[in-house]
Amino acid sequence: MSLLDRKLLRDLRALKSQALAVALVMACGLAMMIMTRSLILSLETARDTYYGQNHFAEIFARLKRAPNALREQLAAIPGVAAVETSIAIQVTLDVPGLAEPAVGLINSLPERGEARLNRLYFRSGRLPLGQTTHGELAVSEAFADAHGLKPGDTLAAILNGTKQTFRLSGIALSPEFVFEAPPGAALPDNKTYGVFWMPYRELATAFQLYGAFNALALTLAPGASEGAVIAAVDRLLAPYGGRGAYGRENHPSHRRVEDEIRVLQGLSVAFPLVFLGVAAFMTNSVMSRQIALQREQIAMLKACGFSNAQVGAHYFKFSLAIVVVGVALGTLAGVMLGRRLVEMYHLFFRFPRLEFLLDTRVLFAAVFVSALAAFAGVAGAVRRAVRLPPAEAMRPEAPASYRPAYAERLGAARWFTPSFRMALRNIERRPVRGALTCLALALATAILIVPNSFRDGIGHVIDFQWDIVQRQTVTMSLVEPGPARAIADFRHLPGVVLAEPFRYVAVELRAGPVTRRLLLQGLLERGTLNRVIDAHSQQLTLPARGIVISGKLAEILHVKPGDEVIAKVLEGEERELAVPVAGLAEDFAGTAAYMELHALNRLLLEGDRINGAHLAVDGSRWDEFLRATKATPRSAGVVIKNLIREGFRKTTAESIGLLQKMYMLFATIVAFGIIYNSARISLSERARELATLRVLGFTRGEVGAVLVGELVLLTLVALPLGLVLGSGFASGIIASVNTETVRLPLVLTASNYAFAVLVVALASALSALFAARKLAEIDLVGALKALD
Amino acid sequence: MPPVEPSSLVLPAVEREPVFQVRDLARIYGEGTAAVTALRGVDLDLFPGELIVLLGASGSGKSTLLNQLGGLDSPTRGTLLYRGWNLGAADEADLTRFRRDAVGFVFQAYNLIPSLTARENVALITEICRDPMAPEEALTLVGLGERMDHFPAQLSGGEQQRVAIARAIAKRPAVLLCDEPTGALDVRTGITVLEAIERSNRELGTLAVIITHNAILADMADRVFTLSDGRIVNERTNARRGSVSELAW
Ligand SMILES: Nc1ncnc2c1ncn2[C@@H]1O[C@H](COP(=O)(O)OP(=O)(O)O)[C@@H](O)[C@H]1O
Ligand SMILES: [Mg+2]
Repeated sequence: MSLLDRKLLRDLRALKSQALAVALVMACGLAMMIMTRSLILSLETARDTYYGQNHFAEIFARLKRAPNALREQLAAIPGVAAVETSIAIQVTLDVPGLAEPAVGLINSLPERGEARLNRLYFRSGRLPLGQTTHGELAVSEAFADAHGLKPGDTLAAILNGTKQTFRLSGIALSPEFVFEAPPGAALPDNKTYGVFWMPYRELATAFQLYGAFNALALTLAPGASEGAVIAAVDRLLAPYGGRGAYGRENHPSHRRVEDEIRVLQGLSVAFPLVFLGVAAFMTNSVMSRQIALQREQIAMLKACGFSNAQVGAHYFKFSLAIVVVGVALGTLAGVMLGRRLVEMYHLFFRFPRLEFLLDTRVLFAAVFVSALAAFAGVAGAVRRAVRLPPAEAMRPEAPASYRPAYAERLGAARWFTPSFRMALRNIERRPVRGALTCLALALATAILIVPNSFRDGIGHVIDFQWDIVQRQTVTMSLVEPGPARAIADFRHLPGVVLAEPFRYVAVELRAGPVTRRLLLQGLLERGTLNRVIDAHSQQLTLPARGIVISGKLAEILHVKPGDEVIAKVLEGEERELAVPVAGLAEDFAGTAAYMELHALNRLLLEGDRINGAHLAVDGSRWDEFLRATKATPRSAGVVIKNLIREGFRKTTAESIGLLQKMYMLFATIVAFGIIYNSARISLSERARELATLRVLGFTRGEVGAVLVGELVLLTLVALPLGLVLGSGFASGIIASVNTETVRLPLVLTASNYAFAVLVVALASALSALFAARKLAEIDLVGALKALD
Repeated sequence: MPPVEPSSLVLPAVEREPVFQVRDLARIYGEGTAAVTALRGVDLDLFPGELIVLLGASGSGKSTLLNQLGGLDSPTRGTLLYRGWNLGAADEADLTRFRRDAVGFVFQAYNLIPSLTARENVALITEICRDPMAPEEALTLVGLGERMDHFPAQLSGGEQQRVAIARAIAKRPAVLLCDEPTGALDVRTGITVLEAIERSNRELGTLAVIITHNAILADMADRVFTLSDGRIVNERTNARRGSVSELAW
């Protein structure tokens, strides 16, 4: 080891806490980058392997019923590679241990042979056997986990009015249900909604669908046009009540996986780079100070014949050491946090294998970027040092010159104490340093705003959904649309105080070139239970003519109230009608359209029919009500609000809690690191000044106040700036998840702001205290010695 | 520690209680073979209103003694009393209060706060002690009434040193300790600085202790001590103390 390297090691040891502070901030940025990029890689790998191995379809369609013979015609569509038809039907379940009924989506398995598309993966057990045994079901893993079900357990379902008991043959996963949520829901709800598979013959027979199908999946031949195939499928299915084919793009499960990847992509660049920027700035200030302290040493080295390159390399190595520690810590933290997040993903996404994969390419890129950042940080200081002629470097640096601060020049000086002036003038003398310190603290504050705004946004959605929009206790639906008088049956169930009928019909809405398929909901004109709410939280009255659509849908269709949209009814007799947009509704998941119930029925030319009812049930008769509904033959599904709500709360609390902790850690490290470093550098630069104050009779506390006065001022400026920045970050990230499937309102609460301010202020204060301990080591007598 | 009342009247030194009583004072830096004995048994009584000059070669222990008197450092051995109070055994907090209330320091390197103007450098101190004089008054006393709003970087060495003296005397200290106050100045400038010290000693009755290399300055003192190798080797009392301007430069 050269002597210069030995000096390097000793210098590093002397500066270890500062070097560590820089390395930690760098590690935060790297951890974020490595974590997010690795998660993207993990999700994409798991997705691609799963989709590939289990033949995930590319085009999907639902219809009323079509004969199996149609399969040949579908397969003959140019560009279609493989076709799979099946039956998918929603039923009411009676789960042991769950008082409330749950909703199950039962899918049929092919009559013979293995499924061509959307093959199941069995976590345990096996396929339900149709021909030999009766009454077997495969259950989705999410639902099984939520209820602790194992193969061999039993479960009752009401199939077309008959309650049947099934034995669970196995626990399965399907690429169609990576994200398993009830249609239109923002979050999974595995307690009350599950997916099942059973042999075709049994399911078809139970629903008098034998020889027919109501669900279709297909894959495309290489080079085929998705749009053309979708159009051809729609034409073929139209006479059979086709509800419109769609590609993966609009597949609910696939879409959620893509959304998650997109959010990760958003987090994987900007935040980490800002952290690395802060680390570069910190490296620069540490190195500048180090070089200033070593002026004479540099001069000596150069006078002895060391070249500029050698001297420069020496200081570059210094920052390289910081990078090495930062990369090691960052990788470690990134991998650990990534693993934790992968565990959390199991709450939302069900893959046969979802493993954390370290994205090594990003690791190399990250090492490169942080080395670059550190070198950029140190380059200026090194350049100044090597340019210094030896003779000049031997002389002490000229004393700093100051002038009155701007605020004082404005005439505010009278109210300022001397220590306050010192702080102001110190900041003004080094405006860039002050600004960057301030910015870094603001950043720390800002990143705290983000997870809490997610939490508050989701809280708002939950409250909005269930306190303002859906105020029913339960929703019961019929297997098939029934006559309006069926509402009387609902009213007669024990404990029902109020029942409001609804009608759902699949439609395609079109405005100009844009079309969207959705369930048009027919509701009472001004319901008490299920209400349509506008952006100002006011209930809308559904007009006798016209349609009310989600604000998001209006945005997608480029329409505003008063414009017309074409509604094409996709069930029963196909009809197309122009309806005026009467108003815009607020909602946060999916896109919705509403009409007054009678107006909708007139449009359908079907007479008064309903799909079910929203019910308010008297709490004291709840058990009685449940017993009655579990046995109600004609109902296809019962959705119980409070249960779903609880599920939501738990899932979000878990996922946001982890993010919150992570961001809190990052913010604390940045605030602590930047304050600690600034304080240490001030302490070093102003050692003489501070020692003099001690000699003159200032207590350690008073001198400490002078030392951190500047930082307190910067923190005070940084906190509000951080709140503004954080609000911007939050709105940016929330805008990036503002998709058709889910959106979050931007909710910024005082408690969110207060929390961020508290964490950063506390971290800063602790850090300043920590740095100020060094004041005890200041050499009083040394300060009296002459400068030379 | 006892309350420190500002010295006011100039009385003959012998008639008053000593400000400092120093007995067998020793200070040893380091331990074992690396130990350096900076002071080895100093005895001394200093009285209110006196002007004392400490002479001696470099390394003879002058600064060490001055630092002991100023409460910057504690003795290894011996007694150090300030008005009967055991300064030598005081703890950190008491030493800070002692420096704040009783001592004015002037250093060779001025040690002004670069980010504060002359007036503010003085005000910084007057804000933390009781019964100070106005910063303007202190600066006028050292002949700097005109340059109060200049920053240290805008002042000459002599002017900076006079600001340091104004800062030291503005608190009306009982003791003014000056370690080579003119060491970095030319003769002419040195005179103005010494005049400022002498004036505050005379007008405020402050006990002033000045370290210098320049034996000529001894004539301005009431008493002169010469140190060598950590001991007082000579004490001289001037019958008449000369004013700075009369000194034979
Ligand atoms: N902090 C210290 N550590 C070790 N030795 C010291 C220290 N301060 C002073 N000395 C030594 O004590 C002796 C007296 O120093 P000092 O009082 O500064 O002398 P003077 O001010 O008379 O030049 C010298 O030999 C000096 O090297
Ligand atoms: Mg000395």
